[in-house]
Amino acid sequence: MVEKSLPSNGVSLGIDGVSKAELAADIAAPLQSLEGHDEGLLRLRPGHVTELVGVTGAGLTRLGLRLLASHSHRAPVVALDTRGWISPEAAWETGVMPERLVIVRCDDPVIWPKVLAALLEGVAAVYAEVPAKARERDLRRLAALARARRVAVAMRPMGDGLPSGIAHLRLRALGVTWEGADRGHGKLKKRRLVLEASGKGASGMRRRFEVEDEGTNAVRVVSDVVVDQAGRAVG
Amino acid sequence: MWSLTRPDALSDEPVLIVDDRVTGATREVLEAGVSLGMLRREAEALAPFARVMVRDLGEEALRFEEVAGVIEALVPRVEVVAPGLVFVPLSGAVRFYGGEEPLAVRIIEELEGLMNGRRGGEALVGIADGPFAARWAAATADRGTPHIVDDTIWFLSTLDLSALREAMGGDEMIDTFRWLGIVTLGDLSRLPRETLASRFGNHGLVAHRLASGEDRHVEPREIPPHFEVSMTFEDPLVSLDSVAFAGRTLSERLLKKLRASGVAPHTVVIRVEAGDGSSRERVWRSIDPFTEKDLSDRVWWQLRAWVETAGVPRGIAGIGIEPHDLSGGGRQLGLLSDESSILDAERALARAQALLGPDQVLQARIQGGRMPGERVSWSRWGEQPAKEERDPAAPWPGTTPGPAPALVPPDVKPIEVDWDAGMPTRVRLGSRWEPVLTWSGPWRLLGRWWAGEQDADRYQLVTSVGAFLCVVSDGRAYLAGVYD
Repeated sequence: MVEKSLPSNGVSLGIDGVSKAELAADIAAPLQSLEGHDEGLLRLRPGHVTELVGVTGAGLTRLGLRLLASHSHRAPVVALDTRGWISPEAAWETGVMPERLVIVRCDDPVIWPKVLAALLEGVAAVYAEVPAKARERDLRRLAALARARRVAVAMRPMGDGLPSGIAHLRLRALGVTWEGADRGHGKLKKRRLVLEASGKGASGMRRRFEVEDEGTNAVRVVSDVVVDQAGRAVG
Repeated sequence: MWSLTRPDALSDEPVLIVDDRVTGATREVLEAGVSLGMLRREAEALAPFARVMVRDLGEEALRFEEVAGVIEALVPRVEVVAPGLVFVPLSGAVRFYGGEEPLAVRIIEELEGLMNGRRGGEALVGIADGPFAARWAAATADRGTPHIVDDTIWFLSTLDLSALREAMGGDEMIDTFRWLGIVTLGDLSRLPRETLASRFGNHGLVAHRLASGEDRHVEPREIPPHFEVSMTFEDPLVSLDSVAFAGRTLSERLLKKLRASGVAPHTVVIRVEAGDGSSRERVWRSIDPFTEKDLSDRVWWQLRAWVETAGVPRGIAGIGIEPHDLSGGGRQLGLLSDESSILDAERALARAQALLGPDQVLQARIQGGRMPGERVSWSRWGEQPAKEERDPAAPWPGTTPGPAPALVPPDVKPIEVDWDAGMPTRVRLGSRWEPVLTWSGPWRLLGRWWAGEQDADRYQLVTSVGAFLCVVSDGRAYLAGVYD
């Protein structure tokens, strides 16, 4: 579920004669139209591969699992885990139905293409970590299989990015900031992940947007962020 | 019923066979207080002297083939439910052997002859009206003496409600019955059926039928001949890999055909033609309609058993599967879910399981705990989920605050953190040091001192590349999760 929430900073809701709801609707109107455009980038499309590129810690595992949420309401979805570290609890928080999530662990890069191919033959949506040693030929064949079977696939390369021509959409993490923790006080509350979308799925243009995640199944997408906000942690 | 132990267990060693729970044990282990169905951890604590082995259903099916063969030599149509449990329709055989008791005694004698002092086999034979009652008659039989039930309804009325669990699941419904003061199947059968149906739906109806001695209701339909599927091979199959592939393909083909007609089988006859022209067949039965995975498993077990026991001389020249007892009950399409996608996914997951082994295809459910790794209870996909060891609804004071880290190492990993006056300053990630921009914590985690656990502090460390959950115990830092 993608929830459109309101910008909270700099907005006073105590103006005389204007109800909170009216004020909220006025403020949200231009933002929503902008949001709708980039929210589409956070949907896994059947028959297409979405590549998630970035260092471990950027928040891409959670994002990848979240992409499975809407598919899990119809049929089982799979997270293909090469490290044995993926936690289903994070997936449940993002809205994936617990009884529909299957975690397949495969740390052998030789068997990995066969396992993913077997999954693509029947599963509607897959989040797959790609081992660093995966061969380009196998990846191209798997992408073709995903297209033929109309499977929605998110791939998270553990090494370098995928070879060109495989991913329909590439989401690259440019930076991540956290709110809530302050030198021993508070706790982690909100993550802001700045992503750059490119490839055919982004209409051939590079677009930057920010995903705010508060640890629930709701995220807020803010378009056209300035990139140098990234990399700075907010205490 | 036939009690099984892992055939590769040493003959003089106490053995505990486990899945998530205990599925088999030798006499010494049972005498130590272990019971079937007990949680693995409890059983290991009660019998630390026992050798623990993981259950292998395929291997059990292979060894059980000998037992099924002996019974089949006495009564032609044996219906195998699972390794260890067969149903034998007696109507014709009783006349031939002169009664139920002589037949049951003969079966026991033949099976004891088969064992010939070997360890691990105990034949429990029960005779009653219908498979459900017969299964419990066998379960309550003494070794070497058949339990012949004259009054099936009275026998069922004495059984505890938990007897329903194996046949139909529904733990929640059984707990509700108990809460209402209904403890035996007799109590349940005395309730008005329509009341149960309106309160518990189809599950309540099925429970009442079973408790009243009316076994699960199957609506047999006329089987058009085209439902049977078969394959023939010019060069008979001898390798197990090719047999497995052929069996799985045939199972999928059969269920696909049946699904198009909206039915699924409760019974299948598996036939093979051997390279020397001889043929064999075996009936497999299921209380619920066969799913793809169930049928593929059974076909594979049966074919493997025949191949490995030299039951098909000169290889397999043909395989056929014929469905029986077709019912539409198990294939009701869901209103809000895509049933055909679910079946496709089950097939795909079964293939992945065949490639990787059952322990690598997993499902999880929430359970109680303070650390992220403790809050997940894992079970193999396709198997009954393990009951959570810790109540997730309990308060769990001191639990690690959310959001949950998306990556949790199976065991905490040592990590290098630099401290300055009790405050984290930098953390080593791979080959480089990252400054800690901010942090939260520490949250104290009190260890179970009586179990040798130490107290620890938890920190959420934020760096420019992400946030990490870190546990500090006895002056050393460990990575417990990555907020990836």
